[in-house]
Amino acid sequence: MALFFMTLGIGIVAPIAGVGGGVLFTPLTMAFYPFSTDFIRGAGLVMAMTSALSSAPHFAKKGLANLRILAPVVVVSIIFSILGGIIGLWVTNAFPQGKSYIKIGLGLILFVVFLVYLFSKRVEFPEIRHIDPISEKLDIHGMWYEPSLGKVVEYKTTNLLYALPAFAGVGFIAGMFGLGAGWANVPVLNLVMGAPLKVATSTSMMIITINDAAACWVYMARGAMLAMIIVPSVLGITIGARIGARIAVKSRPKSIKYLVMAIMLFAAVMDIWKGLHGLGLAPPI
Amino acid sequence: MAVVVEKEKEAVGTELKEVLVEPMNYIFGRIMEILTIIGLIAMFVPGIIYIITGKGYLSRDVVVKYWDLKASAFWEKVMGVKVFGYSWFLNHLSATDCLSIIGVCILAITPLISLFGAEIKADKKYKILIGILILEFLFAIFRPILMGH
Repeated sequence: MALFFMTLGIGIVAPIAGVGGGVLFTPLTMAFYPFSTDFIRGAGLVMAMTSALSSAPHFAKKGLANLRILAPVVVVSIIFSILGGIIGLWVTNAFPQGKSYIKIGLGLILFVVFLVYLFSKRVEFPEIRHIDPISEKLDIHGMWYEPSLGKVVEYKTTNLLYALPAFAGVGFIAGMFGLGAGWANVPVLNLVMGAPLKVATSTSMMIITINDAAACWVYMARGAMLAMIIVPSVLGITIGARIGARIAVKSRPKSIKYLVMAIMLFAAVMDIWKGLHGLGLAPPI
Repeated sequence: MAVVVEKEKEAVGTELKEVLVEPMNYIFGRIMEILTIIGLIAMFVPGIIYIITGKGYLSRDVVVKYWDLKASAFWEKVMGVKVFGYSWFLNHLSATDCLSIIGVCILAITPLISLFGAEIKADKKYKILIGILILEFLFAIFRPILMGH
């Protein structure tokens, strides 16, 4: 029940703060619940995948989520996502203090996420001056109807080669730590490839469905999924996200965003502290 | 290659705006939409029954007792087995917790089936790219069976 209410709360505040649920669930659960990091990451992946699966179809049918952008980047990221899952489970199962390494790693990643949310800029409609030859050959383009402008917006993307290593890293982190990694997908799609912000956000959802689903099979094959943890978590965030989305349409108070970022920072510190304690380098909390 | 699949009028009064959406995106979204609903129902219904009754392949009390152990140690302690593959839930489909994991499987296979649908409607270059994606995804699923460890 506690897990259900925690994920319900995450589901409500995440859309208001503009963050993904997985990036709060995995570190908070690792910091405050007794579950093994394997089961938490397995549940985190299912949660991120389910959230993305619930929204991606709507965006795909509107023309916002685009397979033309997704296909070339996910060809790379899916392999790294599988690899991340394999290595992530290997670390916890092969080393006696593996879970401490994972907690420290996740805490550090969370610091990066915090900085990304704090400092990264978003560009609604990036201006593209030059299209790289590969994007040109693959004819990466799309269009959608933008209600705020009252017109159909057409776009192209660029810098595919620069984006590929970034997506490889994002895929690896998603698989290894059980995250959705929209926090990393969106800036790369928006700022590096020049996809309009709405397209970047929507296509990121589509990318998460594939990356996380592939990594899910790795966790499933190792028995790192327990219905006892997954069901209340996903149920909570599914209900919470619907409530949160309705509130977000009406108002998005900045205070909620700062609160969520403070929670994120706190979870990062807790995860690192617990990891260091597991290694015998810090006293218990 | 583009088809009209949507007409919007919300922000422009009564004026209709046509948006051209590529068939591969539309099919991908449609398949994903249907399978997600099926997967969620398949996961939640037996999953909630399992949590309420506490009876399944793994009893609720035993799970609570050992859920702090890493996955390999958990399975050795609780069932005395080493898990590698999918038989741990596929062989116990009468149990509600394993049925719930089937729901997770449906969700986790949804992008693959959506990709199959999209490939049919994709142009030549994207048929190749999506084909590679499908192979990679199949590798993720069958890796435990192919590699055996």
